[in-house]
Amino acid sequence: MAPVPPTDTELDTMIRARLALIGIDLDQLPGTTDPTTGTPSLTSVLSSLRSFVRGSVATLAAFQLPAPAGTPGEDAAELSQQVFPPALYPSITIGAWTKPRPA
Amino acid sequence: MSELAFPSDADIEVDDEPIRDRIVDRRRFLGRMAAAVASAGMAGAAPSLFGAAAAAPHQAPGVPPDPDAYATPRPEALADPTELTIAEAATLIRDGQLTPLELVEAYLARIAAFDGTYQAWNLVLAEEARAAAVAVAAGPYLGPLHGIPLAIKDNYFTAGVPTTANSFIFEDFRPPFDATAVARLEAAGAITLGKTQMGPLATSRATTPAGVITTVNAWTPTDPSVNPGGSSTGTATAVAGRCATSGIGTQTGGSITGPSNAQALTGLKPTMGRVSLSGIIPLTYTRDHPGPLARDAKDAAIMLTAMAGPDPADFRTQGLPPVPNLVRAATPTFQGGGRVRLRFPTRIGILPGYTAGTSETAGARRAMAETLAGFGRATVVDVTPPPELDALTGTAFNNVRLPERSEPFMPFLRQDLRLFGVSLTSWLQGALLGANEYITGQRAKLLLLERVLDDLFSQCDVVVQTGPVPFDIIGLPEIAFPIGFSAAGVPIGAILGGQPYAEDSLLAVVAAYQAATTWHLRRPPDPPAVAPATLGVAAAGTTGSRQLTAEEVVEQMQ
Repeated sequence: MAPVPPTDTELDTMIRARLALIGIDLDQLPGTTDPTTGTPSLTSVLSSLRSFVRGSVATLAAFQLPAPAGTPGEDAAELSQQVFPPALYPSITIGAWTKPRPA
Repeated sequence: MSELAFPSDADIEVDDEPIRDRIVDRRRFLGRMAAAVASAGMAGAAPSLFGAAAAAPHQAPGVPPDPDAYATPRPEALADPTELTIAEAATLIRDGQLTPLELVEAYLARIAAFDGTYQAWNLVLAEEARAAAVAVAAGPYLGPLHGIPLAIKDNYFTAGVPTTANSFIFEDFRPPFDATAVARLEAAGAITLGKTQMGPLATSRATTPAGVITTVNAWTPTDPSVNPGGSSTGTATAVAGRCATSGIGTQTGGSITGPSNAQALTGLKPTMGRVSLSGIIPLTYTRDHPGPLARDAKDAAIMLTAMAGPDPADFRTQGLPPVPNLVRAATPTFQGGGRVRLRFPTRIGILPGYTAGTSETAGARRAMAETLAGFGRATVVDVTPPPELDALTGTAFNNVRLPERSEPFMPFLRQDLRLFGVSLTSWLQGALLGANEYITGQRAKLLLLERVLDDLFSQCDVVVQTGPVPFDIIGLPEIAFPIGFSAAGVPIGAILGGQPYAEDSLLAVVAAYQAATTWHLRRPPDPPAVAPATLGVAAAGTTGSRQLTAEEVVEQMQ
């Protein structure tokens, strides 16, 4: 059973707590956009961050890397661990430019 | 620092096939490199030890300039030196018909007359450029970039010279050394004319740190609402507006290809690692690509030749395929009857829907495809993208890059959020993405690369692009070039993507296209000469608002 999606208030608490934990104080932000520096308001920043967490973070967390072709469905999660290790710079890995490819 | 010189192109056989065909077989590649090293008198040196001093170009010292890097100037260029391409100016300078100082002065005059309108420059180094021109002229001849004035995006370090990235964070920053790319261009004889406007920290089109629009599109100088492209805007406008012969930018999410398309330039985003990132203010470590914004394919090749190659200061440049002869690749060939022929047999892939519709862009794309299909050795093919392409390049996977901008800026995020001005939001987003999601994103990059290489590039050798994100995520090369103009006179461009380190294949296609078309030869008319303060008032009336909001920056950001 999927957990209950967090409310805006719960997300605001999480966002503030996470950022405060690493030393970022959202209370520095102005009540309205500061025309001198362009700094957005706290309200608009929190709104954007909630959308980001609900969208990108949730989408990435739910993504399942595919298993090798031909893998039985019941083994997909186990065998998907065996492929596609993390690659910060995939194009500079030697396989990117030396592996024989389909013609 | 190693004194080893990179094997010259003549040592590694470049004329008969593109580099994609030479590197696919590692055994064959290493065998060639061993032969090259031996022939260069470097027996015993491992092929991975290509390291040279950061400022040294990849070509061996003493190698005469490639004759393909020179072009006979067009009459209009002879009449106005600011119209010269690099290849044309190089001919005149080499032959003593133009001095570097004359060229610098011509650009300084245009900057003085028109940059009040363009607002392309953050800092014009007039006296430094004049001094450099005199010094270059007094020294040995250095090749096609000898005495060529360049526009440098303001996120490239320039030793002792303000390097702001249009950010409050760097407003007083004077780096202690040159970016490797800048050092290499200057070592090749180029002159830094100044630092150009950009989006704050390379996020959006060029604005002040507070989001006030600065640089305009050189083709629509009185209408700031026309987007001049991404964050390398200042360089693009400077080159398009004939305020520099060529220039350099960076691309994380389209900021070389975007401004190039917007301003009828030829921009080349190389493969990750092809050009050192040492001395460039990071936006996203794994996606930042330095490259040239030039007037045509030949100029882009000359610029990239100087910039490219291994750098001891950047591991990402080490142990990669050699830099091929890019200048020769960008030299068109012809067959019987004067028909243009591609330098290499090339299958040019067209994605579904690319030419569909009745828009001016669709019409220009169809005409481009028809032109390319008429070239010898060219095959235009319809290709099917990998089924996962949209998902793996959508918003969520594109956002995987964001922790790479927040992490290096943590001291500033902890200090004062206002330092980030209008660009703040994405830095906070990056700090919120979890490590699990970041790792998923890094795994997905390999999946995407495999699908692109195995599925897409089994159908073609180069492929049109409808946006920069897919190949920016996986670090593959792209070239942008003009293919027409709208009825309103705004440039229409195309982007081709290539295989890893296959910049030569991209250049060869675009050079052939430019041998058969004239879009790249069009220049915008001179803008009205308006003082900066006056323009600000007038432009505000034109656009209603000239300050981007934080939400707009998020939409535009690289």
